[in-house]
Amino acid sequence: MVDYAQVSMKLEKLRPPKLVGKRPARGSRDDRHAQTKVAFFRYGYYDIAFKYFVEQVLDAEFVTLPPATRRTLELGSRHSNDFVCAPFKHILGDYLEALELGADVLVQFTGPCRLGYYGEVQESILRDLGYDFRMLNFAVVGGKPATEYIKLCKRTVNPRVSLKRGVGELVTTFRLIECLDSYHDAYLAHAGFAVDPEEPRRLQRAFYRTMRAATCRADVEAAFAAGLDALESMPARKPVDPVRVGIVGEYFTAVDPHSNLGVEEKLLGMGVEVARMLNITNRNLRYHEKNLRASASRYLRYDMGPTSTLTIAAAKKYAEEGFDGIIHLKSSGCTPEIDCMPVLQRISRDYGIPVLYLSFDSQTSDTGLDTRLEAFYDMISLRKAAPTASQLATKGTSR
Amino acid sequence: MLPFRQTPDLADVQSVGIPRALLYYRYGVLWEAFFKALGRNVVVSSPTDRAVLAAGEALSVDECCLASKLYFGHAAQLIGQCDALFVPGYANEGRLASYCTKFQALPDLVASTFADRGVRTASLFVDRIGEKTSARRAFQDFAQRFGARPKEAAEAWQHAARAQTEHETALARKFAVDRARAQSAKGLAVLFVAHAYVGRDPYLGGDIVRMLESLGAQVVMADEADRHRAWKRSFDFSDTLPWAPTRELVGALLEALDAVDGVVLASAFPCGPDSMTNDAIARCVQGKPMLSLTLDAQSGTAGLETRIESFVDILAYRKKGGYLHG
Repeated sequence: MVDYAQVSMKLEKLRPPKLVGKRPARGSRDDRHAQTKVAFFRYGYYDIAFKYFVEQVLDAEFVTLPPATRRTLELGSRHSNDFVCAPFKHILGDYLEALELGADVLVQFTGPCRLGYYGEVQESILRDLGYDFRMLNFAVVGGKPATEYIKLCKRTVNPRVSLKRGVGELVTTFRLIECLDSYHDAYLAHAGFAVDPEEPRRLQRAFYRTMRAATCRADVEAAFAAGLDALESMPARKPVDPVRVGIVGEYFTAVDPHSNLGVEEKLLGMGVEVARMLNITNRNLRYHEKNLRASASRYLRYDMGPTSTLTIAAAKKYAEEGFDGIIHLKSSGCTPEIDCMPVLQRISRDYGIPVLYLSFDSQTSDTGLDTRLEAFYDMISLRKAAPTASQLATKGTSR
Repeated sequence: MLPFRQTPDLADVQSVGIPRALLYYRYGVLWEAFFKALGRNVVVSSPTDRAVLAAGEALSVDECCLASKLYFGHAAQLIGQCDALFVPGYANEGRLASYCTKFQALPDLVASTFADRGVRTASLFVDRIGEKTSARRAFQDFAQRFGARPKEAAEAWQHAARAQTEHETALARKFAVDRARAQSAKGLAVLFVAHAYVGRDPYLGGDIVRMLESLGAQVVMADEADRHRAWKRSFDFSDTLPWAPTRELVGALLEALDAVDGVVLASAFPCGPDSMTNDAIARCVQGKPMLSLTLDAQSGTAGLETRIESFVDILAYRKKGGYLHG
């Protein structure tokens, strides 16, 4: 029954068993007047919010990463376990590139799945490779009061962080995230129908540019209003009843275009209206798991995992709103999202809505994805043109 | 939170089916004692065989781990054999004492998987962090759903918890004795590190233990170590490792490492917690030869036997002074 066997012969104890030894505080070699260079991992358009957080809340320098390349994932995979989930590999690659660019501090979040353990294992791997840096790992204080988070930021990044200013700017960071997410919702709804197909990307780039330059709440609001206005007044030819697809799935892969090989842009390119409820706004800032679960109580008795309730509740909502299809995106091996699949299959049967399941690992190919998306698009647009008898029957009973 | 009286919606359930998989290997004693205290019959599915695996694979999404596929095979075996399937959800028992999300998803996962087969499930949910529901609270509420009065519910829990504690104490004693024997014995001793539902399933890790023993090695089982003590010890390895069962295995490994000649880690493909932990163990926990095995449903036992034999050879060679600088 063996698939894989590995012998390790580390017979001398050259290190203590602890993954990461005592975390060094800001060392004496640190120039107290030089700014600490802080890097996040790449995550869709949220680098804009990460930058704001680093500059305005932590009062440190943000390390901007260039777009990820093939090398990023290769680097990350080389130093990861083979069957760890793909986001771990992407992020480890991001960190290696950030360290090459001079980062002093790497930031990692926490979460109720393997994510909660990412930071420590990644820090351990990077230290064993010989890198010198500090890690702002929120898993260390996960579940503890906010004061612990502040202490951790002071200790790791900047002892002079101002609490008063920091709290205010954190609120602005959250508002910035809401603006980014709500712009993206509008983008997904409109971009597939622009008269000039290049126009949406151009407007989006301009919007991100002004958002990235924001240094206060007023800047954020102004950039958001102008960006949304430009997008909504863009010349477009949207049919009365366009093909609509809802995206659900795992927090990293379904959100980050580099990880899912740009599924959203591919759909927009086919002239589809896209919706994705999964984003930081809905999963963190406005998340109320219990109430969201109540909206899908027919399928969920308990909280099944980190984004499971959002996945199921969103899928049910798309089905009820008459979407033409649902696409489920996840990293291969993502246990909680794998466990959503039987529930999604039930929703698919109950409402007669097709669901396409896509799983991404470091090997997933772009052309393979195109073929599957095109086949899915053909199927749902044909169904839309001529609803089958069974579809009509389901529509009658399930609503 | 004050307990509310629960509606006795399960009062008519006379026999309860428990799949012999996953957390049954951790809490089976508790569960069986609990239902017996409520005057119910317990039907446990029979040990894994090829048919159970085939049924489980047919019912599961391909990407699921082997151990969870077996769970569904066992659940299917119980259909028609009981009035309701007992499918508890375990999210966590406190900070850094979580379970793999599979265990938290099981109640809804089973319900959806068997949705059109009219399978009745009886479920509870242990979640100290989110819902502030301890196992005690969850089981006492659950007992009321079987029609028990609050006092009877409390007694059923106490009876079950006592049985579980006795069971765990006996295991911990055995671990301590085995560890001491390994330290003093002249023969080879191997520490076997695997989740109980992998290491003790005759179809998964059970074979490995048998093979090691037939090669003359004494096997110390990491999953038998005192759970609380091992959990605390695991902080010598990690500050943020989230899962209680994994922590206990790591803690037991650190407790017993010096007493044994080698370590065998076994994992069911593709186990999420192990994917994050076993490589890190091999990298950071040094001093003894380690064999990491990943078990999947495809291959036969021949490959496994060869690997274990050659590993035991290495240990024997080393014991004789073969690798002087070990």
